[in-house]
Amino acid sequence: MKKFYLFGIWCLFIAQFVKAQQPASPVISVNFQQATIQTVVTDIESKSSYRFYYDAAQFDSLKITLQATDKTVPAILDLAFSGTDFHYALNGQQVFLTKTKILQTTLAPGFFGIKATPGVSTAPVSPVTTFVNDGDKIIPEATTENKLYEIGVKTNTIDAGRATLSGYIRDIKSGEAVTGASIYITAQKTGVATDQYGYFTLSLPKGRHLLSIRGVGMRDTRRQIILYADGKIIIEMMEQVTSLKEVKISADKVANVRAVELGVTRLDIKSIKQVPTVFGEADILRVVLTLPGVQSVGEASTGFNVRGGSADQNLILLNDATIYNPSHFFGFFSAFNPDIVKGVELYKSSIPEKFGGRVSSILDVTDREGNKKKFTGTAGIGLITSRFNIEGPIIKDKTSFIFGARGTYSDWLLKLLPDAYKNSQASFYDFNLDISHQIDDKNNIYISSYISRDKFKLNSDTAYSYSNRNINIKWKHNFNNKLFGLFLVGSDRYQYDISSFDNPVNAYKLKFDINQTNFKSDFTYYLNTSNTITFGLNNIYYKLHPGTYGPNDAKSLALPDVVPAQQALESALYLGDKYDVNDDLSVSFGLRYSLYNFLGPQAVNNYAPGLPRSSTSLIDSTNYSSGKIIKTYGGPEIRLSARYNLGDNLSIKGGYNTLRQYIHLLSNTTAIAPTDVWQLSNPNIKPQYGDQVSLGIYKNLKSNTIETSVEVYYKRLKDYLDYRSGATLVLNHHIETDVINTRGKAYGVEFMIRKNTGSANGWISYAYSRTFLKQDDPAVGQPVNNGNFYPANYDKPHSFNFVGNYRFTHRFSLSLNVTYSTGRPITLPTGKYYYAGSERVYYSDRNAYRIPDYFRSDFSMNIDGNHKVHQATHNSFTIGVYNLTGRQNAYSTYFTQESGVITGYKLSIFAKPIPFINYNIRF
Amino acid sequence: MRKNIKYIVYLVLLIAGIACKKPYSPTLAATANNYLVVEGFINSGNDSTLIKLSHTVNLGDTVSTAAERSAALTVEGNGKTYQLNEIKAGVYAAAPLNLDASQKYHLRIKLSNGKEYLSDDSEVKLTPPVDTITYDIKSSGLQINVSAHDPAANTRYYRWDYDETWLFHAKYISNYRVVNGDILPRTSDDQVFICFGNHSSSTVTLASTVKLASDVVNNAPITNIIPTSEKVSLRYSILIKQYALTAEAFAFWENLRKNTEQLGSIFDALPSEIKGNIHNTTDAKEPVVGFISVGTMTSKRIFVDKDDLPKSWLVEYPYDCQQDSTYFVNPLSRANDVAAFIISGIYLPTYAITGPKGGPAIGYGRANPFCADCTSRGVKRRPDFWRDK
Repeated sequence: MKKFYLFGIWCLFIAQFVKAQQPASPVISVNFQQATIQTVVTDIESKSSYRFYYDAAQFDSLKITLQATDKTVPAILDLAFSGTDFHYALNGQQVFLTKTKILQTTLAPGFFGIKATPGVSTAPVSPVTTFVNDGDKIIPEATTENKLYEIGVKTNTIDAGRATLSGYIRDIKSGEAVTGASIYITAQKTGVATDQYGYFTLSLPKGRHLLSIRGVGMRDTRRQIILYADGKIIIEMMEQVTSLKEVKISADKVANVRAVELGVTRLDIKSIKQVPTVFGEADILRVVLTLPGVQSVGEASTGFNVRGGSADQNLILLNDATIYNPSHFFGFFSAFNPDIVKGVELYKSSIPEKFGGRVSSILDVTDREGNKKKFTGTAGIGLITSRFNIEGPIIKDKTSFIFGARGTYSDWLLKLLPDAYKNSQASFYDFNLDISHQIDDKNNIYISSYISRDKFKLNSDTAYSYSNRNINIKWKHNFNNKLFGLFLVGSDRYQYDISSFDNPVNAYKLKFDINQTNFKSDFTYYLNTSNTITFGLNNIYYKLHPGTYGPNDAKSLALPDVVPAQQALESALYLGDKYDVNDDLSVSFGLRYSLYNFLGPQAVNNYAPGLPRSSTSLIDSTNYSSGKIIKTYGGPEIRLSARYNLGDNLSIKGGYNTLRQYIHLLSNTTAIAPTDVWQLSNPNIKPQYGDQVSLGIYKNLKSNTIETSVEVYYKRLKDYLDYRSGATLVLNHHIETDVINTRGKAYGVEFMIRKNTGSANGWISYAYSRTFLKQDDPAVGQPVNNGNFYPANYDKPHSFNFVGNYRFTHRFSLSLNVTYSTGRPITLPTGKYYYAGSERVYYSDRNAYRIPDYFRSDFSMNIDGNHKVHQATHNSFTIGVYNLTGRQNAYSTYFTQESGVITGYKLSIFAKPIPFINYNIRF
Repeated sequence: MRKNIKYIVYLVLLIAGIACKKPYSPTLAATANNYLVVEGFINSGNDSTLIKLSHTVNLGDTVSTAAERSAALTVEGNGKTYQLNEIKAGVYAAAPLNLDASQKYHLRIKLSNGKEYLSDDSEVKLTPPVDTITYDIKSSGLQINVSAHDPAANTRYYRWDYDETWLFHAKYISNYRVVNGDILPRTSDDQVFICFGNHSSSTVTLASTVKLASDVVNNAPITNIIPTSEKVSLRYSILIKQYALTAEAFAFWENLRKNTEQLGSIFDALPSEIKGNIHNTTDAKEPVVGFISVGTMTSKRIFVDKDDLPKSWLVEYPYDCQQDSTYFVNPLSRANDVAAFIISGIYLPTYAITGPKGGPAIGYGRANPFCADCTSRGVKRRPDFWRDK
């Protein structure tokens, strides 16, 4: 083969043969800057009598930068080709340029008794080598594994330094960005993961590298590159069809051990979809609840508790928009459409400095980008809800959209009720619309929007409705290969209203809403191979209407009552650095300085200092004009974590975090009720403060297919708002008199084992965790439990979860889910007495008892239609049983007087095995 | 409102057949549980003041034994002291006090064990009259509503309790009775067919008008009587007593209601300690249940006759009843069943069974006392307030 090749070259030489005319000429001067071989040859030919013969195709990648004065042509050529693969051979005035092989123009020494001419000695010159971006060079779309892709401007020599490779990974089929894919260079023991937009940046020594790329649900792939200078690459990955039902928790198999963060879990929608749920529809929040350290007060409850934090201490983001109420239908469904969502990340310990404003955790839900190549969609039918989504290009390969809708048709269920309840209604819908547009390879625009609405009404008496409304626009800009910026403008709103119309005299309407306007800028700067710097500025402007009450009927006597609007500005400036000290030690340190200003107009009540705040200690109130800064809170927040590798598959990590929260959810119920009130910090209500120290050991087994971890944590909370006994939280003009600053402490240990690949996959988690609260504010007259620690509502010491999936064939798999936890604490009656014509109960200290332990197992079968690529629709079924053993878990226990006698009841929901079926179509 | 949310949740689940409700009796540590319970109010008007003292007991015990006896109670204020006397176990009374409505008063309790308690000084709340008591006929039954208003808008917080009285009859007429071992016909004086039933409210009924432009209570629901209830079998009467409350007293009652009448769901408020206005003079931390208000009480009574109610409402007799024939000589066993069942007092004789040719009774019909004797559940004495149709 090679011989044919050389023969071809030789023929070419013959074809280009031009007879030399002049004898060897003296010296010439040249100055090439990134010159192609053509330029060099033309230049030298014009200045000398030499004629060049070469295969242009072989030299297309060569760029020569050279400055030489008064040198002979051979000397110039020596300089030009030194250190490269290229060679020249002289035959009189003919110059033959070759790659790899040296063309012998003379016979072997002594063949004819002629002495071999030694090569011309090189004069000392200083080649000036510069590396610049080649403007019109297109970014290579690296699609195959066996080709060698050249990055940066090709040079004749590969310099010793490092260069920055930045790139973008996308799905070859849909053109969608691949988030969280890992790019790993085994030889360098270095790697990086793509961000949520599919981008990555990596600093590498110049030269040849083999990139190993792994993505969630994508086929593992490799790319060969030769890195000459800073440059870009686009890598396309193929979806891994066979892993359709594989559990993938983490995008990166080594992330468990290698990532600096601790207490971070990523779940992709595929693993979420295979966990059985009560009505068969994939539910993100339910799956999050199976992770260690995440608790809820019960089934069908809104909100979740992370490491002893209350439900309002979680920042729930959907494409960077804050979702205030993450549930539909009293908590039976989560607010996120599973057909739109791409994945979720839960930060329970190491919270990146770019996030803030809540003291417990961040749940970051990201939607998929629409398919940039063709129109596709899905539709799903369940027992109570149906959903639909469509996506496709607006401009092919540039702009795409994705739209999702869900709705209920549960009213038929309510129609089956006895007459007395026939007029009841309960329904919800939600819509997502996301658009992504690639302006050029440096600029991307993302628009995402979300709207949801829940309505329910009991027998035409009182109607409730609540709604989330979110929209934001993001602009991602690559300033250069090392600096990325993300700018966001958005608006989030949550509102509810309650209206009653049964009795015209009392008919009323009560409205609540909270609005926030967000401005965020976030920058990532890859300083060098061991430092990645993030910095940015966040601003949130809050406008909150705590309650607007008024008549709902012309005859109504309801007196309009408006709790004045509250407004505040929360700003934060942050700077963080992920620093790889050496191969084994990495440190991530961040500082976030948050500043909160409570703004006018507002009338602020002043209370006598040192006395419990109550209507009797109220002195007067101060009026502040519009825009006036009434109260400023703020302070630094520390985000620190470090990892030390104890071996290839073993590491130890530690972290310390402090957080501040300026907004509070006031609730005197165990779970979040849709009608709870949010409250901004003001001069009388201090912001919440939390800090957490955590430590973990991580080990991967069996070539990273099994991940294990043990994490311990201790957490403190300050100024969490609990309510006074018998507090009124709605339409309260002096809410500060009804709430009590509470301290909390939480500690625990969490174990997790997970297997991500293979036909059997899933995870097992166990957590021992405790959470206690204490009201020791001296300004409180009679604190709960006399000021001693008491367990929080969600304090469940033991919690065990098993989530497993076994794939029999590519089309059939079984999933099993087992959950056990200690029963949640309750306040039980310990005594009784007779009062007002009835026996009444006397309650124990708060949360002194527990409901019975919780145990549940669920099972589902996932059946896919055939995997033929070319068919109009792909079908799949999920059939399963929720609560397989039919255990009657206590949802709540309560004591009520019936005909003057106290009776205790235990209420169980989902008290028997509940079969479900879900049918999905993809087109 | 949370109650409603809870109900929707339950309903959806109950229809789906997947929720269930079961009795629950947790095992509790037997805690020493003996806190003073004070019930009643200081009537500042021209009516007697009644205060009941008892104490809390463990859940398994009976509350009827918990009366607090031999305490010394005094109403104090405006430089005066009024003595209360124990009129029956744990119940202390004073004659009409006619207090000065511009002053504040409190109650002092000295227990027999030496502990002493004081209620907070309370202003005198004068209660406006009950305007009307109306009723609605609903599919769920007879709904009783009350309306009131205060033109001066001083009342704002209302509480009601009520006494119900109704006429009812036994299932069977007992025409005979056993007197000293003999079965004699009843006279009209000792008939036990028709009686008066009586019941006092066992729930806390409250209303507040603070969110309304004027101090008007419009048809606040007081109670609902189901169509099959014996209360509406003949004639029904309700006396509604109205009390004006201070904001603090309202909070206490509201809390009491929330804590003991609707709790447990995760959408319900968590139970919280009920803080009254009575304190141990030496140990402020000792829990004392109760709230002592000072004020007047107003009331109103209405009657509802069976003829005012739908004919389709059919009363269900609260007991399963049947009559059997009882003979002096049982035809099969030859035993004297009349002596064994009726004269022994187990059953009441209802009618006489005579032989084919007449003559003296050879036996009697018999029925359970609760089927034939209304006095087992009511009284025969016609109350003074009772007005026939």
